[in-house]
Amino acid sequence: MKKIDRKDFLKIAGGAIAGSAVGTVFSGAPFISLQWLVEWTQDQHVPSSGLEKYLKGVCEICPNKCSISVRMIGERAVKVETSNSGCPFGQTSLQMLYHPDRITTPLKNTGSKGRAKFTPVTWDEAIKDISSKINGIIKSGKNDRIASINKERNLSSELLDRMVNSIGSNHSYYEPTLDTLTAGAVGGMLDYNFDDADFILSFGARLLEGWGDSASISKSFSRWKERKVKFIQVDSVCTRTASAADEWVPIKPGTEIFVALGIANHLIKKKGMGSGAADFGAWSAIAGEYTPEAASRLTGVPAKKIEELADALSRAKSPVAVAGKGGKAISSSSAEIIAVYGLNTIVKSRSVTTKQNVNFAGAAPIQTAAKFLAESKKCAGFDEFVKTKNFDMLIVNGADPVYKSVYGKELAAKLEKSFVVAIMPLVNDTAAYADYVLPSITSFESKTAAGDPVVKPVDGAIHAGDAVLRIAKMVEGLQQSFQWKSYTDLIALTGKTAGAAGFSFKGDILKKQLADLKKALGDANYSLSLVPIEAPVVGDGDGLAFPYAMKVLGSETFSSGKLYVQINRETAKKHGICNNESLKIITEKGKVGSVKALLTDSVSPDTVAVPMGFGHKFYTRYAEDKGVNPREIMNDKIDPLTGTASWLVTRVKLS
Amino acid sequence: MMKDMENKMKRRWGMAIDLDKCTGCGECAVSCAQENNLPIFEDDSDIPKKMTYLDVMRITNDRDAKFPDVKVAFIPKMCQQCEGNDPKNPQPPCVSVCPVVATDTGDDGVVSQIWSRCIGCRYCQVSCPYEARVFNWWKPKYEGSFKKSLNPDVSIASRGTIQKCTFCSHIWKKERDKAVMKGELDINAVLYTPACVSACPTGAMVFGDLNDPKSEVSRLARDNRAFRLVHTIDQKKPDEQKKFRAIKNFPNPKVYYLSSKQWIRDLMRFK
Ligand code: SF4
Ligand code: SF4
Ligand code: SF4
Repeated sequence: MKKIDRKDFLKIAGGAIAGSAVGTVFSGAPFISLQWLVEWTQDQHVPSSGLEKYLKGVCEICPNKCSISVRMIGERAVKVETSNSGCPFGQTSLQMLYHPDRITTPLKNTGSKGRAKFTPVTWDEAIKDISSKINGIIKSGKNDRIASINKERNLSSELLDRMVNSIGSNHSYYEPTLDTLTAGAVGGMLDYNFDDADFILSFGARLLEGWGDSASISKSFSRWKERKVKFIQVDSVCTRTASAADEWVPIKPGTEIFVALGIANHLIKKKGMGSGAADFGAWSAIAGEYTPEAASRLTGVPAKKIEELADALSRAKSPVAVAGKGGKAISSSSAEIIAVYGLNTIVKSRSVTTKQNVNFAGAAPIQTAAKFLAESKKCAGFDEFVKTKNFDMLIVNGADPVYKSVYGKELAAKLEKSFVVAIMPLVNDTAAYADYVLPSITSFESKTAAGDPVVKPVDGAIHAGDAVLRIAKMVEGLQQSFQWKSYTDLIALTGKTAGAAGFSFKGDILKKQLADLKKALGDANYSLSLVPIEAPVVGDGDGLAFPYAMKVLGSETFSSGKLYVQINRETAKKHGICNNESLKIITEKGKVGSVKALLTDSVSPDTVAVPMGFGHKFYTRYAEDKGVNPREIMNDKIDPLTGTASWLVTRVKLS
Repeated sequence: MMKDMENKMKRRWGMAIDLDKCTGCGECAVSCAQENNLPIFEDDSDIPKKMTYLDVMRITNDRDAKFPDVKVAFIPKMCQQCEGNDPKNPQPPCVSVCPVVATDTGDDGVVSQIWSRCIGCRYCQVSCPYEARVFNWWKPKYEGSFKKSLNPDVSIASRGTIQKCTFCSHIWKKERDKAVMKGELDINAVLYTPACVSACPTGAMVFGDLNDPKSEVSRLARDNRAFRLVHTIDQKKPDEQKKFRAIKNFPNPKVYYLSSKQWIRDLMRFK
């Protein structure tokens, strides 16, 4: 039979997809007109019709920048078509674009901070006030007390880095991501060739839950299934990733690193393998203590299984051992990232390479800057900065550290005493402390390398890069470094990377962190471990503002206004906890609650699996006051190489 | 003779979902919500009352197994587009009970639902074995600018009506209209892809014509990993099946699931 396939209309590759049709309806016409009549009499909204076309766009939700096509009805964007190569976060981008709580004018704080009480002001007024604050700080010789925090690396973040650095401050930071953590630990971001891999061993990296480059991993995963490539997940919770993997290797919470060391031990001692990388000698001397049997006692994984994993890793042609625990939010100690990455170097995998970001060059610091840049040292990460430094001004670009950092409370206290500028489309928990909130545009409203914006930017909002440019142009002495008229001039200049070199095993870090970890895991006062998990679409919390995320949440996560935490049945019995019981989770730092218990053997004993992404105080009417935010009570011990708290495992008790 | 020809020409839309590839990511459900103008509430966490067509169900065998042998999987479940025992005269459990013919089976096998006809008696909801039908307890809401992303091809329901997945049949209508505009005369030649299927990032969902033995969905429906949701008749021997079909009204869904995991198939049997 003849076939005319709609897929041809949706194909993204191959240029414009402006198939158009007239809104005349042939089939089903009587019903549809009848429905409209009924809707009219029942006072229902009737969506307006218009010319249909498909426009090519780029999803800017994550650095991956997937190509998508957007179905337009007149001027309205009504559907994102990903043609099986997007991700759930991108599918919510229309809810971001048309969010009723979007900011459409600069806001100025009125009243006490942290309450999100604002009054609208004009762009000119806001930019003038912000830049004169910066000029004032420079005049008083405190250049390095201006800091910035970006959500992730993109055009506007590079511009903001450039501005802060040119003023004379090294304190331009990023929220911790897979890339920042691996860059801190192994000296570069890791590039995995998942497509050609023939054996994947993931150490708590929840590859299918927003980890890394989500859209392309989904594709690779689908190919692994077709090519029968083995994918093994080591984790203390049977997460979505573990359930989709060929095998889930359950472990005691937080002991991924011991599995990696056990495997390394077997490879070095039994297979005579090794690595030429720096400090391998000192590192392998420590790994030498973790025979598969010793690792087994610590992790609960049978020694035979550890040997099996090692053998499989060494047998494979293009094996990949994946480091970086978590999904959208990542937290791993640097010793753990090094150990897992180290496995790749030991088995000489060609599927993992390192690279680093390179910001665009040519910035000329202002006259007074050199001294500060030479004297003040950049912290290894934003958590360390919040803990150890004070600042007079913080510029927040899309980030939400008050909500996402375990140092959120400490940060909030510092924000109350400083001048805060937030550039973002929706007010979040951090923006609640801002002196100014500058509205930025979202995915389909900006010009990209792929072409023009899909929709007209919402009135009043501008590109975050333009907001930075406008500020920079009014800072005395900076004009020369910021001559561009608009962010569009920078599209081709930004987003560059280069190869990275110089991986070292850093034996001393391993020694220190293993000692700390063993101490924490042995803490008898807090006998359980909190392990965060992520719900689909909600991710690490950004997704909760988009109400269609709620359509996906099942009763295992959030139901009738209550957040559910998963506890192993035996463990629950031991602690006298029944299904559905209301609980509070207590750590050294404090407590959160109440949450409800869901007893299931899909988590390891002594583990409390808590969904992240809930418990926002300010983040649109859809995300506010739903559940609790476990980061408030999580482990805040800062890793020296990443400058970030390793919060993924926290010792807790329940009441 | 003529009738046979007609029957041959018609599509019989079906779906196959490969659970080995499904990661439970929920993109299908979000895509469905966006395509079908599902209402937007500030607190949508009352799960039995939540208006959603596609439920990504988390299933586990932890009643039968203990740690560490417990397994988890995800089953995206929408209306299974049942056809009853006779494909030529489809009788899904939900259709015959509707007093106002708000739900019916089309000649493409899709079970339609016309919200504006629905009087809210909820008979169909009760008779659906797959809990695929949802009732609008509240007037569907779309706050402010959210209205801008509403799809004009799908009408908005009123409070007190039943809604469900229609295999996105409005997309097929639209594609046929387009083909006609281009001078195409045989509208049944037009294929289409529902919103959930075109979104799935792993390609776990496949949609197509079960009447076409060469289509991928037909091939997958015959795969030895294929099964249907708690459909007991599938487990019976052929002659027994025949006997049962004659006396009983089985839902006989057109949505097939595929899994290589025995424990999932075990769950699909009543013990
Ligand atoms: S799944 Fe339910 S609603 Fe869908 S056709 Fe079958 S009985 Fe009817
Ligand atoms: S076929 Fe359409 S209506 Fe049905 S679940 Fe998929 S997207 Fe929703
Ligand atoms: S989009 Fe695909 S992988 Fe994701 S839940 Fe739906 S069927 Fe599963």
